[in-house]
Amino acid sequence: MHQSINNDFLQKAIGTPVRRLDALDKASGRAKYIADMKFDGLLYARMIRSSRARARLLHVAVPALPEGYYYISSNDIPEGGENRLYMITNDWRVFAEDTVRYIGETIGLLVGPDRNVLRDLEREIKISYEDLEPAFTIDEGLAVKGGPIHGEDNIFAEYNLKKGDPDSIFSGSYRIVEDEILTGFQEHAYMEPQGMVGEYKNGKYVITASCQCPYYMRKAVAGILAVDQEDIVVSQAITGGAFGGKEHFPDVIAGPLVVAVHVIRKPVQIVFDRHEDISFTAKRHPSRTRFRTAIDENNRIVGMDIDIAINGGGYQSCSHIVLQRAMFSVNSVYDLPNIRIRGRAVATNTFPSDAFRGFGAPQGIFACEMHMSHLARALEMDDAEFKQQYFVQTGGTTVTNGMIHEEVKLPEMLEKVLESSGYIEKNRLYAGEGAAKAVGISFYNHGGGFTGDGEKEIIKARVRVSRDQNHKVTIYVSNVEMGQGFQTTACKVAAKVLGIPLQDVFFQNPDTSVVPNSGPTVASRSMMIVGKLVERAARQLKNSWNDQGAVDAEEDYVQPPGIEWNSTTFQGDAYPAFGWGICAVEVAVDPATAEVETKGIWTVHDIGVPIDDLIVHGQVHGGVIQALGYGSLEKLEVKNGAFLQNTFADYIIPTTMDFPAVESDLVENPYEYGPFGAKGMGELVFDGAAAAYAAAVQKAVDRDICSIPVNPELIMKLRQA
Amino acid sequence: MAVSYVPATFEEAVRIRRETGAVPVAGGTDLMVRYRSPAGTLPDFPWPVMFISGLKEMKGLFLEGAELVIKAGTELAVIEHSEIVHPVLREAVRQMAAPALRNLGTLSGNICNASPAGDAVCVLYALGAEVELTSSSRMRRMPIEHFITGPGRTVLKDDELMTAVRIPLHSDSASFYRKVGTRKANALSKLSCTGFITVTENRIVDMRLALGAVGPMVVRSAELESQCIGMDLNQFSNFKPDLRKQYAELVTPIDDQRSTAEYRKETTLNLIDEFFMLIEKELS
Amino acid sequence: MQQITFILNGEKQVVSADPSSRLLDILRDTLGLTAVKEGCGEGECGACSVLKDGKLVNSCIVPMGSVDGAEITTLEGLRDTAEGENIISAYADSGAVQCGFCTPGMVMAAAALLRENPEPDEQEIREALSGNLCRCTGYNLLVKGVTLASERGKEKGIWQ
Repeated sequence: MHQSINNDFLQKAIGTPVRRLDALDKASGRAKYIADMKFDGLLYARMIRSSRARARLLHVAVPALPEGYYYISSNDIPEGGENRLYMITNDWRVFAEDTVRYIGETIGLLVGPDRNVLRDLEREIKISYEDLEPAFTIDEGLAVKGGPIHGEDNIFAEYNLKKGDPDSIFSGSYRIVEDEILTGFQEHAYMEPQGMVGEYKNGKYVITASCQCPYYMRKAVAGILAVDQEDIVVSQAITGGAFGGKEHFPDVIAGPLVVAVHVIRKPVQIVFDRHEDISFTAKRHPSRTRFRTAIDENNRIVGMDIDIAINGGGYQSCSHIVLQRAMFSVNSVYDLPNIRIRGRAVATNTFPSDAFRGFGAPQGIFACEMHMSHLARALEMDDAEFKQQYFVQTGGTTVTNGMIHEEVKLPEMLEKVLESSGYIEKNRLYAGEGAAKAVGISFYNHGGGFTGDGEKEIIKARVRVSRDQNHKVTIYVSNVEMGQGFQTTACKVAAKVLGIPLQDVFFQNPDTSVVPNSGPTVASRSMMIVGKLVERAARQLKNSWNDQGAVDAEEDYVQPPGIEWNSTTFQGDAYPAFGWGICAVEVAVDPATAEVETKGIWTVHDIGVPIDDLIVHGQVHGGVIQALGYGSLEKLEVKNGAFLQNTFADYIIPTTMDFPAVESDLVENPYEYGPFGAKGMGELVFDGAAAAYAAAVQKAVDRDICSIPVNPELIMKLRQA
Repeated sequence: MAVSYVPATFEEAVRIRRETGAVPVAGGTDLMVRYRSPAGTLPDFPWPVMFISGLKEMKGLFLEGAELVIKAGTELAVIEHSEIVHPVLREAVRQMAAPALRNLGTLSGNICNASPAGDAVCVLYALGAEVELTSSSRMRRMPIEHFITGPGRTVLKDDELMTAVRIPLHSDSASFYRKVGTRKANALSKLSCTGFITVTENRIVDMRLALGAVGPMVVRSAELESQCIGMDLNQFSNFKPDLRKQYAELVTPIDDQRSTAEYRKETTLNLIDEFFMLIEKELS
Repeated sequence: MQQITFILNGEKQVVSADPSSRLLDILRDTLGLTAVKEGCGEGECGACSVLKDGKLVNSCIVPMGSVDGAEITTLEGLRDTAEGENIISAYADSGAVQCGFCTPGMVMAAAALLRENPEPDEQEIREALSGNLCRCTGYNLLVKGVTLASERGKEKGIWQ
């Protein structure tokens, strides 16, 4: 097969596209995902799960098992080991004991060699429960329906922020506009379902997993077996999409798996089928955001009182951090005066919510963008015209009273989008026609990397770049290639610094016994933070390029100067730099069926400098279409604690036919502390499209839209109102 | 574990059916999905099955007198691309699922599935299709609305195979077909609406309307249709509000994971309005 | 169990299988052809696409009982041919490959389309890929990849 890789980027701009390093292996079907890998004597495991949302677990009756079959439960956790997962919070249990908190909670594992036998045995397991009264919604959680699930009030976390002097504003006599914005669950729908294999090899527990964060998993499970973290080795398998769904949730699979491997000492595989994956994995947090906005006699916003609540489900996991980002994002790209924000993450008996591309920002930004568009409608102004008055500027203040350090290019970006989309002319024309057509617009930004001082105080990333005696270079990081292109872009950074062809730079899937801990593959940090360390290590290597033998270069994270953050009061610079985006979407709404035809999608992003134009545009297209799915098609309802849409026939993600091509444009804005000027982008490109879509439909049907998904059922209801 | 058979000939299929009651699986696009089981395990059929997609005798479509005969094993993709099939039926088939499924699925399988949400089935009701049922001792045929008796229920006997769908050739002045799916392609339907109108000398000589996914079975009312026969524009326009009201009473959808009863009802009535406008256009 | 005889990637294959077992499981587990992926097991996502008698089908819902006497082509049988290489490299060069899990199915869907219609327009490409779900790319670059495969294939005379 033709193997040539274009090395033009060595002479030209780094963004000059190359053929991705993994493209041919994947497209030819040679790439081995976890379910494709062969293990000698492999056993299969089926998760035995709670069928009740909230109940006392009375008894698990397991049939007599044939030889070679095992039932693994909390009784198999060795002495000194704990029945809990060391995730961001340590509350999620490995196996349910005494009570269950959500449908799908792990009770046991059934393990054996023949999958048909396992299926039949699984049916013979009888679990008896005593049902308790569950709470499913944010309101039911806050009302502590059925008694507390967590603490005394079901509040996993509550934070309060204040900017300016909201108290004086809201005690005054301004016009107050109230609003309530809702977002629902969203399923990641990575194409490769969750899967991993555990083995016991040379005194170590080796987990080969489809995952984003090998070091997280190591930490999460070591305590279950009361072993050192070094006794757990996590090796990333080629990962078929993740989007945050393989950030923490794989730990929930790995926990029971290592217990099984500890007992059986043979390789054990857990691979979910799609029905399990939709029904029994974490989802994006549903949110409810309430606004009270004070408007003065000149129709200017003078203050905002915001209350955000998110549904965390049965365990906390990372809900408090998601909540923080939702709060920090709830003023979108606007520098508004006198802000009060209250945020709460609420415990309920739904499946625990967890990380999903954007990590709270999509909820916060959707709420803000829709509320701002409602204000514009109330004041009889155009959305874009109204919103741009409040664009934050360089030196402007964020909701955490931090400062925007970088140049803000929103005005330039807005001009580009207005021109490419024909926003002004089309909306003028459609309004005159009375047609159910419109162009909607949204503005958004996304802080790259961990919030506040997380990179410095918690993650402390380290990378190593090595050159062997044949002058081949290998990058050692714990960040994974999961589709986003990091393998290729990381190699491009090193190759460009060293001035060597891309074929001479290698990046293997991380294995915790080999790579240093450069942190998890999350928070749009891989290129901006880890890529910068790769760049620095490569520079170091360049200086010793002519040394004899093999040469190693290591670099540790250093916080950019001028960043101030107080992690107790949440005051200061929550993020060192932001990606910025504008999205416009044109729709036509069918008069008879309320079906929406999307006529065009235009975006402009500032992500610093692209490390590969084609990979960046691919991320933009994918993120925008995924967000349009979130905004329009992807309804995920809970009925009696279970997800009602639990197959790909009913959980509706976009196909080729649902949306036209995304027209994606970039403005360059080099970030001094990113590699070659790059900033984070993977989540940014998800954050805004749902609001642009909703704003377009809102304009087309002339009704305020306050929730997603904006499906024909909702539009029909709004039209009738 | 269910027993399964692979008959080599049609005669053998009929015999296996008679002797074991094995349920025929043609494309498998419904049954292999409904009884699917985790990777590496066998589908969980509750009865014996036989796989009939290899039977050449069961494939093909042709004109016979005033009928189009679509043999039971004919794949949807073949129907979609055939020039001798009514364009509305072709369009309904084209909007089903995705290309790979249409290469497997069959119209007869859809009928036996007896889902009120079957889009092409809705068109077959409107076209007055009949089904042909064959056992070792007899062959019988009946209108599709007699064959399907409820959601998932038919009068197919344990020793019978559906062998063909027979569709009377239909010439109309205008037709109407609209499927509202869960998305633009590869979608199950929330509802569908099929209408045919034939006008001679500015009077209705034939009017048909079939509605999918708005009740336990496809809705078609011979009584309401016959009331329209002979009407001119003026008469129809006067009758229209009452007719709409009577159809509204027949539209009794439910809430489910794909849509709401409210949406289905409202949208179906909107589509009926569109069809009525088409009728008025044809009459003027 | 039953002896089932079929042509797999151009060669005669006899397997002993329950007729109700899925073609997908036989290809992956029995025959080790792991380019065929399981994405949903219900015919909705297209990751398991193969050609059966030249037509695109979802192998997760094809029972082995329907395979007796059929001709099955998987990506393993296509990837080293001029036709397969052309599509694979066109996807690679277009930036159409991200996580890669849907890509083998996308290659099969493109092959099925281009055999029937070597010069499809964008709408025809979108229709042909409509049964293959992708969550990474938003489909734009996949569509471009098929266009590129069509252009290059024409130059190389692949469909003549």
